[in-house]
Amino acid sequence: MITGTRLQVLAILFFTGLQFNEKPDRGPLFFTMGDEWRQAVKDIEIFAFEGVDTLVRHHVSLLSNKNGNPLLFFSDLKTPVCADGECKLANIKVYWNLLGNYVGYGIYPAYPLTKYDHDVFDGSDYARLHQLFMDNNSILKRRKISELVDRVPSKTYKQGLGKVDGMSGATKKEIKESVVDGGLYSCYTLWHIIHGEVKEKMKAYLKSIYSDSLNRYFLYSNYEDYRAYALKQLDKSAFVNHLDQIILIFRQSSPLLRTYFLKKIPEPVFQDQIVTQQIYRTFSTLDVNTKTQLIKKVGSAHPTAVEILSEHLPIMTKNQLKFYLSFLNENPRYLNPAVESNLSETGGSKKYAHAYLIRQFLKTFWQHRQR
Amino acid sequence: MIHINTTLLFVLCLSFFNRAVAQKQILIEAESFIDKGGWVIDPQFVEQMGSPYLMAHGMGIPVADAVTEVKFNHRGTYHIWVRTKNWVPGDWEAPGRFKIAVNGKQLKHILGQQPGWGWEYAGTTDIKSKKVEVKLVDLTGFNGRCDAIYFSQSKQEPPAAAEQLTKWRKDKLSETTAPEKEQTYDLVITGGGLAGCAAAIAAAEQGLSVALIHDRPVLGGNASSEIRVHTLGIYGKYERILKMIDTEHYPNGSPEAKYDQEKRDRNVKSFENISLFLNWRAYDAVAKNNTIQYVDARHTASGERIRFKAPRFVDSTGDGWIGYWAGAEFSYGRESAGTYGESWEEWGELWSPEEPDDFVMGSSVLWQTEKTAEEQPFPEIPWAQEIAGDHKAIAGEWYWEFSRNDLHQIHDAEEIRDHMLRAIYGSFANAKKLKENKNHQLQWVSYLVGKRESRRLVGDHIFTFKDVSELRKFPDSVVMETRAIDVHFQRNLQDGSIPDFLSEAIFYRTEKYYIPYRSLYSKNIKNLFMAGRNFSCSHIGLGGPRVMRTTGQMGAAVGLAAAICKKYNINPREVYTHHLKEYMTLIESQQLESQP
Repeated sequence: MITGTRLQVLAILFFTGLQFNEKPDRGPLFFTMGDEWRQAVKDIEIFAFEGVDTLVRHHVSLLSNKNGNPLLFFSDLKTPVCADGECKLANIKVYWNLLGNYVGYGIYPAYPLTKYDHDVFDGSDYARLHQLFMDNNSILKRRKISELVDRVPSKTYKQGLGKVDGMSGATKKEIKESVVDGGLYSCYTLWHIIHGEVKEKMKAYLKSIYSDSLNRYFLYSNYEDYRAYALKQLDKSAFVNHLDQIILIFRQSSPLLRTYFLKKIPEPVFQDQIVTQQIYRTFSTLDVNTKTQLIKKVGSAHPTAVEILSEHLPIMTKNQLKFYLSFLNENPRYLNPAVESNLSETGGSKKYAHAYLIRQFLKTFWQHRQR
Repeated sequence: MIHINTTLLFVLCLSFFNRAVAQKQILIEAESFIDKGGWVIDPQFVEQMGSPYLMAHGMGIPVADAVTEVKFNHRGTYHIWVRTKNWVPGDWEAPGRFKIAVNGKQLKHILGQQPGWGWEYAGTTDIKSKKVEVKLVDLTGFNGRCDAIYFSQSKQEPPAAAEQLTKWRKDKLSETTAPEKEQTYDLVITGGGLAGCAAAIAAAEQGLSVALIHDRPVLGGNASSEIRVHTLGIYGKYERILKMIDTEHYPNGSPEAKYDQEKRDRNVKSFENISLFLNWRAYDAVAKNNTIQYVDARHTASGERIRFKAPRFVDSTGDGWIGYWAGAEFSYGRESAGTYGESWEEWGELWSPEEPDDFVMGSSVLWQTEKTAEEQPFPEIPWAQEIAGDHKAIAGEWYWEFSRNDLHQIHDAEEIRDHMLRAIYGSFANAKKLKENKNHQLQWVSYLVGKRESRRLVGDHIFTFKDVSELRKFPDSVVMETRAIDVHFQRNLQDGSIPDFLSEAIFYRTEKYYIPYRSLYSKNIKNLFMAGRNFSCSHIGLGGPRVMRTTGQMGAAVGLAAAICKKYNINPREVYTHHLKEYMTLIESQQLESQP
């Protein structure tokens, strides 16, 4: 049986289908990459997928440049947004990168998005919507729409310390901050389309077309998710062929990718004096977790790393310093005059909170040396 | 039954003094102070720094003095050292400053100023009478800490190195190697969180005599009114038991946790065959031929010790201490995705890494503020800004969580707790600068670390992601759950500019899944059960069942298994190999009992 809401959806789709048969203008309102959307001159439909309401099928195109190199996925989404039995049409142009990650959207000025109370979205609403789409782990992902709208009656104690909603304050705050005020249904519906089944299809499609040239494009791009994907695909033996770029990636990337890099880089490459220096000289600019990894890996780096680290003692955490001193304790041959001088200097510092550990270490070290 | 009361404490203190006075030195353990004033006993880090200690947890308002009376047999001039630490060393005034007063006169030196646990010199005092009053005088309200006070007519500083210090301490306290008191039970359970409580109730209901050893004054662990995480998950087959001890308060940190606390404590204490040892912390477990002989525990205030003997033991310490001491196999950290086939492409390295590492889920410290009718001052605290940055907050939640790859969730738990305190105080100080928060004040900040992940003892079955994703059923499915796997990561791994004390959750939605009994006893220690977060699982495997109704199910399952063990005088493994049908029937009967 077709319900009233479904009938409305069908009617909307029928009439709007007549209205939106124009060739889509691809200009986005928000776009987090460079000018890929401008470079896109070829447009091939590659698959269709069902939206939140299975009545609607959406079509996804692969956009490519003039040389036929793939750039983006694109879909001109038209979807009904229903609340309390009333449905309206939302129409946006969505861009995903080749990994299926959302990168931007546009609208048709003649058909703005609307809120529950029929108001149209304003500029800040569109910006917030973009922020929401950017969050691939949004709270909308793990909640049903009914949970977001209804206030769950709370269990309260007879003793009573004030009523508490079933949803924690933090959750409510998170929802309020992430969705457009008055636009929850639009936000929810669109987010689930953009981050739903379509992403898996895009990933699968990418695998089907992935090539060495695409890997090179990813590796040398400016985008972290592309770089990470390329590094994952890259055979360890090929690291040496892309050293400059890989070290650049290490410098510029998130702690997560740096961690991955340091686990994967082959030891013979890491031990190369120039590579060691290039990596360890960035020490002061790195995040705390990467610093720890570099200290823990010092034994498998070129010996010059020991000396470089000794120049950065005052920014080490207590445990980082302990790891470093422990390494020296077990490998005293690395404790050359320059390292010793740096240890002495930092050990005498009144500002460095953990200087006392260096003093303890040097005291023991000197005692051993005298014997 | 609580085995220590105030009178006994006093007697113990006196006997301790009698031992000490033979020498011209006196060692006072701070936790044994008769009147602790506003100072709290913190026993969380004994394994790392050597002893419970007193802490001035005043949330920025100096706490009332801790006072004790010491008997001296020798008059004269004494040098005084205090074992303490500056918990935030740096280019600012130490946050936890305090002084010692002897017979009402404050000593010269301000304490809590040197980094790392060590002896700080407090000054000298002339002792002219036998009874001497000693006070700890808090100056800041910001977590000054005192482990011990040493009076000596010699100017020889006590030893600092851990091993020497332990020996020196034993000498000064005339402590024998083994506890003088021994007690024997059918089952000794260490750790009174939800898992330990459920194990105790389930075993007691089957007629076993049970010792439940817990290092806090109240039961419940992370669910207690001291930490205030609410219990999530389903009851499985143990609704009746778990409803005696779980929580209804919401959200995390709610003051209503106190009503759940009263219920839990009342229910557990109602069992005559549960001997409850509150404020007792286990410090050793010894195995012979892979069989635990005993667990030794110490009272966190008096220092009294008891040796607990039993044919079988439960490790529900959360950190797997009993197993660790006894030599049980254990794991820590994130396994590689290939180890148990746990990869999830959508989340890649954040879920399960290609190579193993130590990016475990972190620990939380919950806190709450209240809005008052009047303006409330809050001091400038430069020592917190390094952590808080410009982050502003007037409440915490589960995602206030800290893990870092140079910190071990057990060995560095004090630093983790202190990091969270700085995050809380600093973020609140920032928020207080806004006009809208001028009437807010800190109402409650936990000083206990709410851990999510630490050691995992290895059982005959290691519970992993595959057991969930493939919805595996086992002949010995004794725990079940429907809640999503919920694995956390630190947000600053994705974006280094985000404060390091905030986390994010990855949820893997699932239908009902099961945990086999074989994950609840040790693979190599024959008479050891485990329940709670230290059960046998992988990092990802822990993500779902770590919530407390589920860990409670583990406890109940273990308590019932212990009854079968007693009946046939067998080890935990033999319940699976020889008596599974009877065991599963016993579990099933729990469910029937819970129906109206």
